[in-house]
Amino acid sequence: MSISNIKKEFPIFNNKIHNNDLVYLDSANSSQKPQSVIDRVNEFYTNEFSNTGRSVHYLAVAATNLYENTRSSIQKYINAKDKNEIVFTKGATEAINLVANTFGQKYLEQGDEILITELEHHSNYVPWHFLRQSKGIKIEFAEINDDGEITLESIEKKITSKTKLIAITHLSNVTGAVLPVKEITELAHSKGIAVLVDGCQGAPHLKLDMQDIDCDFYAISCHKMYGPTGLGVLYAKKKWLEQLPPYQGGGGMINDVKKDSITYGDLPNKYEAGTMATAQVIAFDQSIKFLEKIGIENIVKHEQELIEYGQEILRKNNSVKLIGSPKNKGAVLSFTIKGVHPHDIATILDEDGVAIRAGHHCCQILHDKLGIPASARASLGVYNTKEDLDQLNSSINNCKKIFNL
Amino acid sequence: MNIKELYQEIILEHGKNPRNLRKTDNFNKDAKGNNPLCGDNVHIYLKLDEKKKVEDISFEGSGCAISMASASIMTDLIKGKEEPEVKEIVNDFLGMIKENPELKSKNLKEDEKTKLMCLSGVKQYPMRVKCATLSWHTLISAIDNTQEEINTEQLG
Repeated sequence: MSISNIKKEFPIFNNKIHNNDLVYLDSANSSQKPQSVIDRVNEFYTNEFSNTGRSVHYLAVAATNLYENTRSSIQKYINAKDKNEIVFTKGATEAINLVANTFGQKYLEQGDEILITELEHHSNYVPWHFLRQSKGIKIEFAEINDDGEITLESIEKKITSKTKLIAITHLSNVTGAVLPVKEITELAHSKGIAVLVDGCQGAPHLKLDMQDIDCDFYAISCHKMYGPTGLGVLYAKKKWLEQLPPYQGGGGMINDVKKDSITYGDLPNKYEAGTMATAQVIAFDQSIKFLEKIGIENIVKHEQELIEYGQEILRKNNSVKLIGSPKNKGAVLSFTIKGVHPHDIATILDEDGVAIRAGHHCCQILHDKLGIPASARASLGVYNTKEDLDQLNSSINNCKKIFNL
Repeated sequence: MNIKELYQEIILEHGKNPRNLRKTDNFNKDAKGNNPLCGDNVHIYLKLDEKKKVEDISFEGSGCAISMASASIMTDLIKGKEEPEVKEIVNDFLGMIKENPELKSKNLKEDEKTKLMCLSGVKQYPMRVKCATLSWHTLISAIDNTQEEINTEQLG
């Protein structure tokens, strides 16, 4: 599958937005879906639907096999050691909450520290804040440098004898900085500290190898990987999933239930209580196939070319200020225009069919640090082209014209 | 609808040079408002005289052109009016933004109505309505002394 005409795999681009071609630059928020993923949802509900794991009839067995196939595909795609290290959740947010609840409940005590960074999305801060309130743990923030990066040194500086967990993003959804997660994990493990990586932005754009990174937990958002909404993945090392308590109680996660005692099911069922997002899981297998057909190396190369081109043209555009200039930068271009509020930028760009996001992108800590209430963000996906970035630039110029800049 | 109907000159001008963007000395009523999804925030200060007439009104805050222009135009227009009139004007404005085709208030002069109608462009942009109404909701909260911070996500 060639990346040059990949747009035709995505039916959304057949639509006109305000009579213009859609220039979709909001993939960090959520990516568009290829036809194969959409068709798979439809096919499952039309011809194959059944709940999984419970009944013995034909459809139930087939659905269970399809569901477990996706687990195997993910295991392979992220190079996890064991299929049972893949836990389905309702999103990356739930994946992080799962760890906060179980790891927090079992291993954290008053005065213990969790180290996060100033780049973190609220979903990798608020769950730890709950523990700050309920258990009296402390949250420390590794600081960004002037380029909007988190270095190994900035992490090292904040590690103390009380640090129990380091929870960091793989790729910042605002500055685009790619964190040295492998090096951070190595450092953390040398001090007996566990590591959680928020892979929401990392997973769609970077080559994933869990055994190489060696982190303890990795959270994935499937709808940002050309997959369905309502689905996330928690990768966790088997030793943790075996040691940690269950997250939610309900059907499917139990082994034996008596009036005075309950035992829990084996992995991965222990963490998948209730009926799961079955159709989404089954369709997500097509997202993995889609990514594999293009090849992650090709995706990285394509997006790197775009990000360099985007930075180049926006740097030339006076009154546009790019946020962060990390050396290792992923598919995000955040910016401000002097004299135009980001929400006004977004509304004006939308009129041209250019979809971007404006706001703090769930990163209020970072925006406070940068001293701005909000920013505009153009984020890339596999379907974007240089022409899309040219249109972005030309719509920014139109915006400047409207504001008499 | 053309984007220029939303960003009319008067809005751009008020957004760039907001009137009454300061803090009233000896204010006797105030309230804060914020729009958590956008990050717009406003703090309204009111000084009412003994007859409950608005002697001075001002605001501090930051936000998009629409929210700043709306607060600017509102404060300009409310000054010198009496409390019941203010409430009636706020309701009329919110009604216009929500559903009414025009302003009906007898407490507004024609040129004041024309100025306010420049904000009616947001009706076509549902995501931006909150930008235009934040300062108005906050003004009511200041008058009623509810001591509650206005949060646009909790308004119906």
